[in-house]
Amino acid sequence: MRLRHTGVAALAASTLVLAACGGDDDGDTGGSAGSGTINFYTDKGAWEPQFLQVSDVSEGSIGLGLDFTGYSDAEQYSAFIRQSFRTDEKPDLFTWHTGSELEDLVAEDLLAPTTDIWQTAIDDGDVPEALREHFTVDGEQYCVPMNAAYWVMYYNKAVFDQYGLTEPTSWAELMTIADTLKANGVTPFYETNILFSFVWFQTLLAGTDPDLYNALSSGEASYTDEGVVAVMEQWRDMLEAGYFGDPGDQTAPQDQLKSGTVAMINFGTFLSGQLNSVDMVSGTDYDFFVIPNVNPDLPQTSLIFETGPMCTAKDAANEESALEYAQWWMTEEAQTAWSNARGDVSFNPKAQVNDEQLAALNEQAGADDHLLLERYFEATPTPVLTAALDGFSAFVTNPGDPMPILETIQAEADAYWSSQG
Amino acid sequence: MSGLAVAAPERTTTPGPVRRRGSYRWSARGFGLPALLVVAVLLYLPFLWTTWISFTEYNGLGSPSWVGLDNYRAMFDDPNFLTSLRNTLIWVVGSITVPVGLGLLIATLSYGMRFGSWLRLPFLIPYAISGVAVGVVWRFVLQNGGGLSQALDALGLPGADSRWLSDAPLNTIVMIGAAAWQQSGVNALLFVIGLQSIPREPIEAARLDGASGWRMFRHMHWPMLRPLTTVVVGLSLVASLKTFDIVWVMTKGGPGRNAETLAVTMYEETFVNSAYGAGSAVAVFLSVVTFLAAITYLRRQLSPERTV
Amino acid sequence: MTPMAARILRPTVLVVLGLIWLAPIYLLLVNASKDPARYAADQVWRPVSDFALFDNMRQAWEIGGLGDAVTSTLLYSVIAPALAVLIGAALGFGIVALRLKHGFFWFVLVFGGTVFPLQMILMPLFVGYVEAGIYDSRLGMVAIYTAVTVPFAALVMRNFLGGIAHQVFEAAVMDGATTWRIFWRIYLPMSTSALVAVFILQATFVWNDLLLGLALSQSDEVRPLMTAAAALQDTYGGLQLTAVLAGGLLVSLPTVVLFLSTQRIFSRGLNLGQF
Repeated sequence: MRLRHTGVAALAASTLVLAACGGDDDGDTGGSAGSGTINFYTDKGAWEPQFLQVSDVSEGSIGLGLDFTGYSDAEQYSAFIRQSFRTDEKPDLFTWHTGSELEDLVAEDLLAPTTDIWQTAIDDGDVPEALREHFTVDGEQYCVPMNAAYWVMYYNKAVFDQYGLTEPTSWAELMTIADTLKANGVTPFYETNILFSFVWFQTLLAGTDPDLYNALSSGEASYTDEGVVAVMEQWRDMLEAGYFGDPGDQTAPQDQLKSGTVAMINFGTFLSGQLNSVDMVSGTDYDFFVIPNVNPDLPQTSLIFETGPMCTAKDAANEESALEYAQWWMTEEAQTAWSNARGDVSFNPKAQVNDEQLAALNEQAGADDHLLLERYFEATPTPVLTAALDGFSAFVTNPGDPMPILETIQAEADAYWSSQG
Repeated sequence: MSGLAVAAPERTTTPGPVRRRGSYRWSARGFGLPALLVVAVLLYLPFLWTTWISFTEYNGLGSPSWVGLDNYRAMFDDPNFLTSLRNTLIWVVGSITVPVGLGLLIATLSYGMRFGSWLRLPFLIPYAISGVAVGVVWRFVLQNGGGLSQALDALGLPGADSRWLSDAPLNTIVMIGAAAWQQSGVNALLFVIGLQSIPREPIEAARLDGASGWRMFRHMHWPMLRPLTTVVVGLSLVASLKTFDIVWVMTKGGPGRNAETLAVTMYEETFVNSAYGAGSAVAVFLSVVTFLAAITYLRRQLSPERTV
Repeated sequence: MTPMAARILRPTVLVVLGLIWLAPIYLLLVNASKDPARYAADQVWRPVSDFALFDNMRQAWEIGGLGDAVTSTLLYSVIAPALAVLIGAALGFGIVALRLKHGFFWFVLVFGGTVFPLQMILMPLFVGYVEAGIYDSRLGMVAIYTAVTVPFAALVMRNFLGGIAHQVFEAAVMDGATTWRIFWRIYLPMSTSALVAVFILQATFVWNDLLLGLALSQSDEVRPLMTAAAALQDTYGGLQLTAVLAGGLLVSLPTVVLFLSTQRIFSRGLNLGQF
C-alpha cells in the first residue's frame, strides 16, 4: 500500500531542505520498495481506485501490495517504460500490450519469463489454454494477463423497448434493427475518428472472413486483397447510409449511449464500468449482445477479445515478489476482486462476476461455438497500426474510395514485414 | 533605441570614471555562470542526445544504430511532413496576427478608460486556467454539434453543421482561435504596460490639437508601441512554431493527420511509433527553424552593439 | 468619429468581446456544477438546476488524490521561479552593469534554451535523472522547473536592468561597494516589480505543468498536481465529465486568483518594450 505523507511540513523557511528530500525519504515506498510493496506502473491511470482495491485484498492474502504509479498518456508511458530498462528504476510490475510491443521487449531480453506460472495456472484451471499463445515468444511465456475484455454490441434498452426491438441473432436482423432506428430518427451505431476508428473494420472483417483477418495481422495477406476491399466498401456504404453517429463527436461513448444519441455501441466490455459510472444499470438501462457474423455460413461466431499483459522486468528490484504477485493475480480470488472492482469480465472462468450479463458472456466465450480473435489493435504491428488508424480515421470522417487508404497501409505493412526478415 | 526614452534613460557610453570594463571580467562571468550552467546541463545536454539520436535508428530499447542522414532524407520525402509543415506555417501566421492583433485592440480600447482594468479581466482568466480544464472545455465547444454549433443554431446563424475539428484547414483555424482565447489577454496586458510607459506630454499635446480615436492611435500610440509589438510577435513566433498541446488534446493531429503540426509529427513518430530517430530528426529541424526565427528577431530588437 | 460615439463604442466593443471570452468559462462553470446524472452533451449551455459543484470537486479531489500533490506543487511553483528570476537577474546584471564580454552571445545562448521542444528532452532527462539519483525527487523537479523558466526570466530581467542608468553602478563603486553588494542591495531592490511580474508568470506556468511532472516523478510525494488531475480522464474511463471539469477548475483557482490580483505589479515590471 502506498504511504501517504499528507501533513508533510510547513513551507516557509524549510522549503529548500524539503526540496532536497524526495520520494526516497520514506523507506519503503518509492524507488526502494521493501518486500511488502511492489512498484506498479500502468497507463490506465484512471483505474487507480480499482487497482488499490485489489491491492488491499492481496495484502491480506499474500502480504504484498502495490505502489501505484498511473500515467494518463499511453504514448509517453510506453516511452518511459522503454527507457527505464536502461536505468536502475526498472519496473517491478507494469502493464503492457501483446503483439509486437511485447516482442520488442523480449527481443532485447528485458522481461522475466513466466512459463512456470502459466503452467501452474493452466493446470489449476485459472486461465484458458487458448490465451497462452498471446503471451508466448519463442516458446517461452512472458507476463500474465492483467485483464480481458470482449468486444460486443452495447445497446440502450429504453430505445430498444420504445421501438419494440430485441437482440438480433443474425446480421440481417441487426441491419433490420438499424433500419428501424434510422427510420425513427435514431442513429443506430457509435463511431469515432479518434483511436477506436478501427473497431468497425475489425468487426466487419472478422465476421466476414476470420482467416483473412488473421492473415492480415500476420502479414500473409495484403490490405489491397479483394476481401479487404469488399469489407471497406461495405463499411463505406453503411457510413453513407447514415448508420453511424458523427465520428467527430468527442462526447464519451457512455454519455452518447445514455442520452440516446446513438442506440448501440460496438465496444469492449470495459464499457460496462464506464456505463455504471454514469448511473446506468446493467440489464435495466443497458445490455449487450455478441455481434452476429456478417457471413451467416461461418461455423463459429467471431468474437473479438483483448488482453493486456502485466509484466515483470528482468532484474527488477523486487523481481521475485513481483512474479509472486503475477502468479496470485491469475487466481480466482484475485480475479473475482478485480473483475468486480472494474465491472468487467475476467479471463479466469472461475472468477465470480457479479454482473449477470458479464458472467453470462464469460461462459459463452468459453464455448465451442465462438471463435476468439485478437483485437486488431494488438494483432497489428505498431507502425502498420499507426498508418491504419490514421487511414480509418480519415475514412470514417470522409468516406470515399478506400483504395488509396489501403495502399498507404499496405506500403507500411510491406516495409514492416520486409524489415522483420 | 526605442521610443521609450523616458522609461529607459540613455546610458553613458564613455568608460566610467572608476575602473575599466575589463576589471569586472571575473565577477561578470560569475554572475552569468548560474544561468548558463543550468540551461546547458538541463536543456542543451539532453538536446544533444536528441540530435545524436536523429542520426540513428532506435526503438527505445537496446542500442541505437547509426544511419547517417537517412532520417532526414525520409523526412523530406514524407508527404505527411509537408502537410505538417504547412499547418505549422498556418499556425505561425495565425498566432502572430490574431492574438497579437486582439491584444493590441483590447489594450488600446481599454487603456485610459474608467474600469478599463476590469474590462480586461475576462481576457486574462483563460491564461491562468489549467490545460486539463481548457482542453475539456474546448472539446465541448468545438466538437461537431457542440457548444459553438448549438450557439450558432440558437442565434439563427449559419455554420451550425460545420465539422469544426474534422475538416482541414478549418480545424487548424478554429484551434488557432482557441489558442488566441488563451493568449490574447496576456498580450493585451503587455501592450497596456507599454502604453502606460508612453510619456503623457506629447499625447496631451496631440489631444489639444484635436487628435483622437484612430488618428491618435495611428500617429501617437502605434509608433511608440512598435518595439514592444515586435517582441510580442517574436515570443508568439517561437511559441507557435512549437504548437503541440492544443492540437494533441483536441484532435491527436487528425483525422488522418490533416491537423498535424511539426511538434505533433515529432511526438507521433517518437512516442506512438517508437521511431526515435525519425522523431528526433523532426525535433532537430524544428529547433533549428525556431532558433533561426528567434535569432532573426532578437538581432533586430536587441541590437548587440549596445551591450557588447 | 465623434468623441461621443467613441465613448460609447469603445466599452461596447470591449464588453461584447469580453462576453465572448467568458462564454467558455461559463460552459466550464455551468457544466462543472451539474449533477452528473443530469449532464447532457447536447445541452451544454443550459444552466444548472441543482448545484453540485462542490460534490463534483470533492469527488475529483478524493479520487484523483489531489491533496497529496498540493504541497509539492506549491513548493515547485514558489522555489523554481524564485530561483529563475534571481539567476536571470544575475545574468542581466552581468551583461548590463558589469559589461560581460560577448554578453549578447551568452544571452542568446541562454534564451536559446526556449527553442527546444520540451517533449524531446524528456527521455534523456529521465535517463540522466535516474543515473544522477535525482529521479523522483523534489530537488530534481525544482532543478528542471528552474531551468525551463530561466530563459524568459533572463529576457525580461536583462531588458529591465538595461533601463537602469549605468551611473547608478558607477556611483556605488565610488562608495566602495562590491559587485555582489551592488547587485543584491541596489539592482535587485530597484527591479522588484519586474522580479515579481516574471515570478508570477512563471509560477503560473510551473503550477500548470503536466509534461515534466509526468516524466520525472513517480511517488505521490513528488508528483505535481496536474499529473494527478490529468489522470482523472483518459480513454479507459476515469471520472465523469462533470467531475473532471470541477477538478480542472479547482486546480486552476490558485493561479487565477494570483494572476488577477497582481495585475498591477505587471504594469511596472514587465515592460518588454524597453531596449
